[in-house]
Amino acid sequence: MARVEYDDVTKQFLGQQDRAAVDHLTLDVADGELLVLLGPSGCGKTTALRMLAGLEYPDSGDIRIDRRSVVGLEPKDRDVALVFQSYALYPHMSARDNIGYPLKVKRMTQAERDRRVARVAEMLSLGTLLDRRPARLSGGEQQRVALARAIVREPRVFLMDEPLSNLDAKLRTHTRTELKALQRQLATTTIFVTHDQAEAMTLADRIAVLDRGRLLQLGTPDELYNRPVSLFVAQFIGSPPMNILAAQVRDGALVAEGVWRLPLRRRVDAADVSVGIRPEAIALSEPASDAQPAEVLVSEPLGSETIVNVKLGNALVKVRAAPHVRPDAGATVHLRADPARMTLFDTKTGAALP
Amino acid sequence: MTSRAETAGRQAVTRRREGTWIEAVLAHLVFAAVIVFFLAPFVWLVTAAFDADAQAYIRWPSQLTLDNFARVFTEHDFGRALGNSALVAGLTMLLDVVAVSLAGYSLSRMDLRFKSAITYGVLLLQTMPLSATMVPIYGLARAVGLRNSYLGLILIHAAIELPFLIWLMKGFFDSVPRYLEEAAWLDGRSKLRALVEVVLPVARNGIGVVAGLSFLAAWAEVLMVIILVDRQDMFTVPLAFYQVLRTRGGYTEVQYGMVAAMGVLYLVPVMVIFFATRRMMVRGLLSSARGL
Repeated sequence: MARVEYDDVTKQFLGQQDRAAVDHLTLDVADGELLVLLGPSGCGKTTALRMLAGLEYPDSGDIRIDRRSVVGLEPKDRDVALVFQSYALYPHMSARDNIGYPLKVKRMTQAERDRRVARVAEMLSLGTLLDRRPARLSGGEQQRVALARAIVREPRVFLMDEPLSNLDAKLRTHTRTELKALQRQLATTTIFVTHDQAEAMTLADRIAVLDRGRLLQLGTPDELYNRPVSLFVAQFIGSPPMNILAAQVRDGALVAEGVWRLPLRRRVDAADVSVGIRPEAIALSEPASDAQPAEVLVSEPLGSETIVNVKLGNALVKVRAAPHVRPDAGATVHLRADPARMTLFDTKTGAALP
Repeated sequence: MTSRAETAGRQAVTRRREGTWIEAVLAHLVFAAVIVFFLAPFVWLVTAAFDADAQAYIRWPSQLTLDNFARVFTEHDFGRALGNSALVAGLTMLLDVVAVSLAGYSLSRMDLRFKSAITYGVLLLQTMPLSATMVPIYGLARAVGLRNSYLGLILIHAAIELPFLIWLMKGFFDSVPRYLEEAAWLDGRSKLRALVEVVLPVARNGIGVVAGLSFLAAWAEVLMVIILVDRQDMFTVPLAFYQVLRTRGGYTEVQYGMVAAMGVLYLVPVMVIFFATRRMMVRGLLSSARGL
């Protein structure tokens, strides 16, 4: 149970003088919250996590747990547990000894240790695997042992560094669900690092999107999805990603890709903007004066829905349609966009226009 | 289960490797010659040691006897020499394992200033011929009272092997993933305890190689013993050998049977260590080669 604060934290690695790995990061994680650090590789998310764990030291700024600075503390004195991407199980110990190791460190009695290990093993269905060494466990089982080793200590904060990325797709989705349920049940403050936006969206109470060491946006999954603050966030979140079209402001209306007239409900000063429209904010309609005709490139039936790819000028636009809608390639469809669900961006800076 | 395709593939490989019968015979002849060349001294050692009237050439013992072994102990106090060697080599091994673990770990993991200079400096030390340092070592040992002392022998033997072993062990540590010790730190261990409880057990093949090599090197070392020891009761095995040859009136009256018996006794611990640790050694040396 703990509140975590990053206060203007900067970290630069030797040999990377041109930019900081983490650049003036300020972030506040509430007690019991599951916060996801999301970003492409090299964005500084893992470095931010490792600084909280005490495995890296910030050049400037402060990191606090429950209002007390931990920057000067050794990893062992911070009372945080980290689940590594590679699990970091001790190869020379059985699963039982791996899980019990942090308790042994705390000089807990053998009986108490056994009791706690058994309880956590039960929670994660590890019962029959406890006497095996890590080499004899599957990836998913190793992952659960790593999780058990973190949980058994009852630490103040859980840190997870892409713990699901080494699992196959099916197991990953399953474990994701279990992890979320487990975190709710334990109500321990958790910081979870991933580059997978779907993972971030499903797990997070709030998501912090990082790029090049900087915090771009912090918000709930809904906020990030519906009100991205920049082109980067808009394109990083959502699958398929948001359609971004080049547009000009002409006579109080938007013209996207030189052909598609879209209604503009407010004043925009810039002449050239980018308009972002989610695939589900575009509907295929009957021919009408306000619907834009476009040629279908390909339809991707996904069972629960169809993604219709259409050509608009030079751009490819993805439209989310009902599963039975399957226009043939080369056919003409008519697009209609929901004006309430369009986001305008300054093309030069990438920032969302207010 | 092996699929049929795999089996067929393996047969094809085998077939390709088979040459003509002439090649096979030639290859075997060459190997046989090499084996005879290297094995001959050992065959002599073993046959002569059990021969009541051993000669300088290989022959089946005229009369099988254990007398040579008995006389080695009664006439030359060879037990004392064996004990000295075991003590010195054993403690050298312990000292080396501790020192090499710490030094190798530091060079592998820590952000030291001048790390690369230190690392290559260590290697430079290894390339120095030992005999060049004989005189200063003698002088130093005399000045600080380490002549005719077990401590002196242990220190110098440990030091001789240190540079190479440090490099070797650094390679082993390099191949142990950092996240393992980081996990131990986060589980609440200090850096030293994490090294002992997690890193060393994972690098145990390396420790085995270091222990084996340092024991064998100290067991075989002779130059430093000659320099540092002149008291009879401190002689190690190589020096005891030398003494048998010397005191028996030079090289004309060598008692081959006793020399051979000593040789056998000298080799037994080497063989024992080799067979006890050979798997570890092979695995260790392979993985250190990969780590470099």
